[in-house]
Amino acid sequence: MEFKGRYQNGLVAEVRDVHCVLDLAADPVSLVILDQVRGDVLDRWPATQAYLLHSRMLELRIANRGKPPGARIAVSGIDEMRAAQAVLPNLTRWHRTDAARQALILLVATVALVAVILAYLFGVPLISDRLVAVIPPSWEVKVGNTAAQQIEASISSGKGYRLCDPDPNSLANRAISGFVTRVFAGLDSPFAPTVTVIKTDIPNAFALPGGKTYYFSALLQASQSPDEFAGVLAHELGHVYYRHGMQSLIASSATGLLVGFVLGDMTGLSLAAAIGTSLIDNRFSRQSEAEADGFAGAAAQRLGYRVSGLADLLDRVAKDDAYSRALALFSNHPLTDARRKALEAMADVPLADQKPLFTPAEWDAIRRMCGPPAPLWSDWIAAG
Amino acid sequence: MDPSLPGRAAHEIVRIGGGHDEPGHDEPMTETTTEQRTATVAFTGSRAELTGIILRGYALMLPTLGLYRFWQATWKRRFYWQNTVIDGEPLEYTGRASQLLLGFLFALAVFVPVYMALFYLSMQETDYLLAGYLGLGALLWFFMGYGIYRARDFRLSRTLWRGIRFNLHGNAWGYAIRRFLWSVVVFATVGLAYPWMASSLWRYRWKHTWYGDRRFEIAGNWRTVALPFYVAFFCNIGVFTAALVVLTGLKDIIAIGRVQVPGPMSSLVILIAVVFLLLTLAYYRAHVASRMLSTVSLGEAKLKVELPTWPLFIQYVGYGLAIVVVVAVLALVALLAIGGVVVASGVGSTVQGADGLAMAFQSGTLNVVLLIGAYLVVLATFGLLSEVIIGFGWWRLLARSATIENPQSIATVKASTEDTSLVGQGIADALNVGTY
Repeated sequence: MEFKGRYQNGLVAEVRDVHCVLDLAADPVSLVILDQVRGDVLDRWPATQAYLLHSRMLELRIANRGKPPGARIAVSGIDEMRAAQAVLPNLTRWHRTDAARQALILLVATVALVAVILAYLFGVPLISDRLVAVIPPSWEVKVGNTAAQQIEASISSGKGYRLCDPDPNSLANRAISGFVTRVFAGLDSPFAPTVTVIKTDIPNAFALPGGKTYYFSALLQASQSPDEFAGVLAHELGHVYYRHGMQSLIASSATGLLVGFVLGDMTGLSLAAAIGTSLIDNRFSRQSEAEADGFAGAAAQRLGYRVSGLADLLDRVAKDDAYSRALALFSNHPLTDARRKALEAMADVPLADQKPLFTPAEWDAIRRMCGPPAPLWSDWIAAG
Repeated sequence: MDPSLPGRAAHEIVRIGGGHDEPGHDEPMTETTTEQRTATVAFTGSRAELTGIILRGYALMLPTLGLYRFWQATWKRRFYWQNTVIDGEPLEYTGRASQLLLGFLFALAVFVPVYMALFYLSMQETDYLLAGYLGLGALLWFFMGYGIYRARDFRLSRTLWRGIRFNLHGNAWGYAIRRFLWSVVVFATVGLAYPWMASSLWRYRWKHTWYGDRRFEIAGNWRTVALPFYVAFFCNIGVFTAALVVLTGLKDIIAIGRVQVPGPMSSLVILIAVVFLLLTLAYYRAHVASRMLSTVSLGEAKLKVELPTWPLFIQYVGYGLAIVVVVAVLALVALLAIGGVVVASGVGSTVQGADGLAMAFQSGTLNVVLLIGAYLVVLATFGLLSEVIIGFGWWRLLARSATIENPQSIATVKASTEDTSLVGQGIADALNVGTY
């Protein structure tokens, strides 16, 4: 019942080659540590207090609770390791309980984190509504202006937008702003949206927090009727009215923080936040798109035009070619069947008094503000 | 047992416990001082073992939502420490993963306000925005100095050798201020003042490092850093200026589609410049570490380090090549996946399943999952490569090139009082500093 090892008493930086022998007669049973060369007793360890530490392969490191924290017996080689374990059979018990304790800590921490994430997932949509109400509209306008500058710089590679019609008092621009005023009339919104039509090949339209709304020439030229044009514009104005931009800004920042926490890299927040944004956008987009559609539907009811134009235009632009559909894989709010059905249901409600949105001269000016319009499908079919 | 007992009282207790009444307990000490010996440092760990630890860590990080990273870091440290055998006795790492977790939570308390400030800034006008980001960047840079020092403190105070603990005294805020002010000077002098900064920080760190009751000394000064630094600095300026001149002279630019890319000759020039940068980087790191560490001493014991440049350079090149291969493979996989989706949606009108796939992508859930998956795979692969090639390589090279003169003199070092700071590395974990 003995084994060889290297002994350190934890008080001086000295290593001794030792023999360790179990003294069963002693009370408590103790491990006697003797110098290998001189044979003198260096120390006596209470045997039951000995425990195993983590060590490299083919080595045991034994510490003792009754001794200084640095006191060790190191045992190398398989034979000596076996011998040591035979002498001290309870050696691995602490090892096991410690592993269990660590696993428990890890489990509790994970459960806590899951709870935080769940609370977040269900809580933030509720909170972001409230938080948005707290943020003063003037602030939101400022955010929108900053975003507008950044987007303009990135879309036009620093050159500035090419406006379709720079004159704000032209027939087309007055017709559009007149429409915006009619949509927002009586809604008691703190925002006064402005619409800018920009020359670009991308069929798109978007609204920024605070009311700056952009309509791209490619989308305008794809619009075949005032209803289509007005439908998409009213949808974007809905985002302004419900302050969706601000909501998603708050929500995605919170997500970024959470993702940063999970990944454990607070300096990599930009990347984490990018993922957070895309996560949150997907979770939020469906709800806010539905809200904006509802807004567009209500506006159509009030002003007397057909909201199904919105669906028709989105559908046409999306179906243009297979590539744009493949690219739509990264788009956050495609026209899903459910959305289309909801829009058509809204359109089914008979209009109280249907009246034209724009005079023929106004609509013609809007269509021509970005150069000659694309031929209508109907014209094309008739010609062919 | 009171560790503050004067003289060799602690030594005596052991002897008394032994029951032998030896008249000359000074004997082992006179023995050590007469015998001149040089101790070597060995490293016994393998890359395969480290890879295993890291992969197991990744596997466990998934179900624990990343929290296992503190345990993984602990296992990695145990691996490095235990396999570093100094004069026949390995280092021992006594830190706990839960301490790191706790420290991270403390650091989070600091970072949440910073993050909120960032959020507030992102809503301001562009002019303020830039100034605000710069201010926050400076603040973060300052905190990083604090974090680095605390991380060193944490690791040293949890390192045991021959049963005696290391420690780091000094003031982490003092170190952060020093580092911050020096970096302002370095910035103002376009990098020329760097040797003074580096030596000042090296000296601060080592002069406050203790082994038991004995303090480390460092004799290195700015001159120790200056030679390797200026050689690397001016060589690189020369080479990059030359490369720029050659590139503008060559006008070797070809167009792939609408994108302008450098032609074969220009690419070769750029490659040569980058390889040269890596070579000088390896030279600089190896020489500064060798020269500085060779001036470190602990009482009579003197550290001597002779790091070679070439193996370090080979590591860097290996890492670069590995990154290129991984990026190429990932790009290929991504291309295949996207191509598959394009084809699927192109024929989607006739094939039901493909249409379903395209719809799944359009629903948004699938592409978020893919995005996260791709991000994690990239993060994990790069982390694994840098740890196994660069981290492991540096540690093993450093260990194997180190020797200690007069190691016997260390045998008289006594344990000092316990340092019971419970909190982990704190800010360092959140800032992602401290590789080992």
